[in-house]
Amino acid sequence: MTDIIFSALALVLGILFVSLAPSRIKPWLNLLAVFAVGVFSSMAAVGVLLGNPIDNIVATLPIFGDVAVRVDALSAWFILIVNFTCLTGAAYGIGYMRAYSERKSALTLHWIYFMVFQSSMLWVCMLQNMLAFLVAWELMSLSSLLLVMFESEREDTQKVGLNYMIQMHLGVAFLTVAFIWVYLKTGSLDMSAIGTFFAGNSNVWLFLLLFIGFGIKAGFIPLHSWLPHAHPAAPSHVSGVMSGVIVKMGIYGIIRVIAYLQTDYMLIGKVLLSISLLTGIFGIVNSAVHRDFKRVLAYCTIENIGIIGIGLGLGLIGLGLQNPIITMIGFVGALLHVLNHSLFKSLLFFTSGSIYQQTHTRDMEKLGGLIKQMPKSAFIFLIGALAIGGMPPFNGFVSEFVIYSGLFYGLNNAGMLHSIMMILSIATLSIIGGASVMAFTKCFGVIFLGQRRSHLHSEPVEVPILMRLPQYIIIVVMMSVALVPSFYIGAAQQVVSTLIGAQVAAVPVGVVGAMTSIGRYSLLFLGIIGVVLAIRFWLTSRQPSSVGPTWGCGYLAPKSSIQYTGKSYSKTLGKLLGGVLVEKKEYDELVEGEVFPKERQYVSHYSDFFEIRIFNGILTKWVELLNKFQFIQNGQLQQYILYGLGFVIAVLICSLFNWL
Amino acid sequence: MLSFVLIFIASLFFTGIVVRTKSLASGRKGPGIMQPMKDIWRSLRKGAVYSNTSSDIFQIAPSIYFASILAAMMVVPLGSQKGLVSFSCDFVFFAYVLALGKFFSIIAALDTGSSFEGMGASREALFSMLAEPAFFILMGSLGLLTGNTSFHDIFMNLHIGSYLSYALVTIACFVLIMICMIENSRMPIDDPKTHLELTMIHEVMILDNSGFDLGLILQATNLKFAMYGALIANLFIGNWPLYVSIPVFFGIQFLLAIVAGIIESFMARFRMGNNAQFILALSSLALLMLFGVLMS
Repeated sequence: MTDIIFSALALVLGILFVSLAPSRIKPWLNLLAVFAVGVFSSMAAVGVLLGNPIDNIVATLPIFGDVAVRVDALSAWFILIVNFTCLTGAAYGIGYMRAYSERKSALTLHWIYFMVFQSSMLWVCMLQNMLAFLVAWELMSLSSLLLVMFESEREDTQKVGLNYMIQMHLGVAFLTVAFIWVYLKTGSLDMSAIGTFFAGNSNVWLFLLLFIGFGIKAGFIPLHSWLPHAHPAAPSHVSGVMSGVIVKMGIYGIIRVIAYLQTDYMLIGKVLLSISLLTGIFGIVNSAVHRDFKRVLAYCTIENIGIIGIGLGLGLIGLGLQNPIITMIGFVGALLHVLNHSLFKSLLFFTSGSIYQQTHTRDMEKLGGLIKQMPKSAFIFLIGALAIGGMPPFNGFVSEFVIYSGLFYGLNNAGMLHSIMMILSIATLSIIGGASVMAFTKCFGVIFLGQRRSHLHSEPVEVPILMRLPQYIIIVVMMSVALVPSFYIGAAQQVVSTLIGAQVAAVPVGVVGAMTSIGRYSLLFLGIIGVVLAIRFWLTSRQPSSVGPTWGCGYLAPKSSIQYTGKSYSKTLGKLLGGVLVEKKEYDELVEGEVFPKERQYVSHYSDFFEIRIFNGILTKWVELLNKFQFIQNGQLQQYILYGLGFVIAVLICSLFNWL
Repeated sequence: MLSFVLIFIASLFFTGIVVRTKSLASGRKGPGIMQPMKDIWRSLRKGAVYSNTSSDIFQIAPSIYFASILAAMMVVPLGSQKGLVSFSCDFVFFAYVLALGKFFSIIAALDTGSSFEGMGASREALFSMLAEPAFFILMGSLGLLTGNTSFHDIFMNLHIGSYLSYALVTIACFVLIMICMIENSRMPIDDPKTHLELTMIHEVMILDNSGFDLGLILQATNLKFAMYGALIANLFIGNWPLYVSIPVFFGIQFLLAIVAGIIESFMARFRMGNNAQFILALSSLALLMLFGVLMS
């Protein structure tokens, strides 16, 4: 508990020093404060994982009641992830924000928001009083909003910020309603009251409310539409942290609620599994067609939320079947993927920040051949891309393998009806894997390989070591997950067994043991690659080699503009899935009588299916309806006073007849 | 270990037999069985020309592609003999290791900055993505049939006895042959002997490779073919003793090569636009197999 108090103190001191210090050392002070907060809260979290859970009532306030700070294994797991990602984000941000160093006051505020952002996420994990939780949740949403809005003078950023703010508050509204409902039924504001509620009432409806509230943060479809806007607009170290951990706070909330569920596991599990499968596939095919590379990553976040959700759904189905092994594998897979995704997604966002900083564009079709100017960033991006595609020998494979194992185990042991569900999940997961190969070969290939596709205003150079160092650290951690998965799987297993103790007590050690051996085979694979490469370079070093132009199939004057583009790379997929990948084209049709060719413009871009086809329609209708009531707000002071008078009279009459 | 060596041996003759079958079918005498291997051997010793657009990716990709096939071969068993490694859900490892190889061959194609190679890369990515579920549903159904989750256990416990199992193995065989054709970019998905870059898939991706790298890629393709041949052979071998299973293994590899040759001689390549539907239809065929398993 003292650790947690120290971490709060570190935050206060951090804010104080960052506001007073000279602007040159502000980012460093921010890093120091994030580090201090991180160390103290991580110490508490590690202590919890080692078996000393924290359960204190820090204050008894009016309205709030007892405010409990409770850190269990689940909170500890998320606290560690939040701290690591925030730390690398703060370190990367030092180099990234140098480009904006003339905006001193904005930067000071930026760093303060960053510290508040980290602490608020930690508090979300710790606070177990519903009202206090909502306050922390709101603090997290607002601080991240202010971080996103760094370039607030730009019109598109303002639009994105407004969108983000409204959607987040929609989520809060759902959470508030759910919490009030629990309070009315149980008379307690402690989180554990949700469990009391579930024990005596139908589980489905409250879960639905909470799922919508948390799901907006997490980005399950159709609640995802803020993600593809907010992530590209934010500065890259912020988008890394947002995609890495803030969406995971939604997952944290969902897991927390799942742990309190008492009945209806099967129904909720199946629905969650189906939504997650759709989320995964929707995210990745969108990510394969977009050309703004930060938006590609944002959609890919949606895909990974889907994969995490598949794990959670599987775990719930295991609970419904009372099969401890399926339960365990499902939840462990989900928790592991939460960790893995926070690592490689922040890595990829940081690299995309480096690209943006050097080229000032997020449109990959304008880039190309960057591997020659930025070889190290290219290497980092490649590692991230391979890991996010779930390929061995990287960490994404470990969690996907665990989820696959669970699905195959479920296939053989869950009975006929569930077998069909399992096989469809397996098939969908395999399509997700294939599509992510497509998305990331495109992303890597178009940005880094081939030739430059357009003129850039300044020649890009490799980013300084200061920006690359945090990324190397992430890679080291990623490889440790990939090659020594037993440590992480063991920890995740412990989290699950403390969370839903009784039902998973009977898991034989061998089942999870088999999954941990995957690290050895990844290492073996790495070894084979090393041997083949060594032989190849040893043999070819003695053979003559020469350099010539790319074979143009007989065409002798190739230019960079005739290269295959990202758009055409994914066009076939776009056409195949024309129903969900909404392509908007803007061009002038040829008119009769136009004989001579002249300059024309052709614009084509993809839009979000749910936003364009569903929400926009509903919203336009809604706005039309509300516009009918415009006469109420007509700007005349006299009428407003009349409204007030009318209200007072209404109250008077009501109290006269005792109606209130 | 045994299966690894046998796949390697089978790969040496595979393309030769395919080419010979095609020549015989078209009334020519054709080159010797070992001619493709001689070509590869010559490539391996030749110097190389690299495109000035390409980077290090282009140099390392063929080796990683080759290594991925070797790693995938490790988990393929031979009847009662385990592969080099065998573990629960090793076919997931198999599929994802191959995906890594594919990833590198695709980015190597994009590395040349060519207007054609990206086209092949795009098709390769799309078609292998669509073929992925067929393989997983197939393995899932076989797993459900036998109650196991690794290549070795599944094939060991696959007993062909009832009428239903004849039907199931026929479907499995067809799906595997088709996946094999897709993964190796052969007819009816891709025509390796076409002369027009616009209509190629795999061939257009390796236009710029030469020398040692080209040799590696060609041998990797042979290995991949023989590896899928081994999977098909495993459907039949079960737990027969070695003196039966080894001849059967080679017999099935031989048959597969002849089948591939005959398909290429007597079929035209599908229209590129229809490939996607065809490949997806394989998944529904695999689903049919699942329903068969659930019925039994």
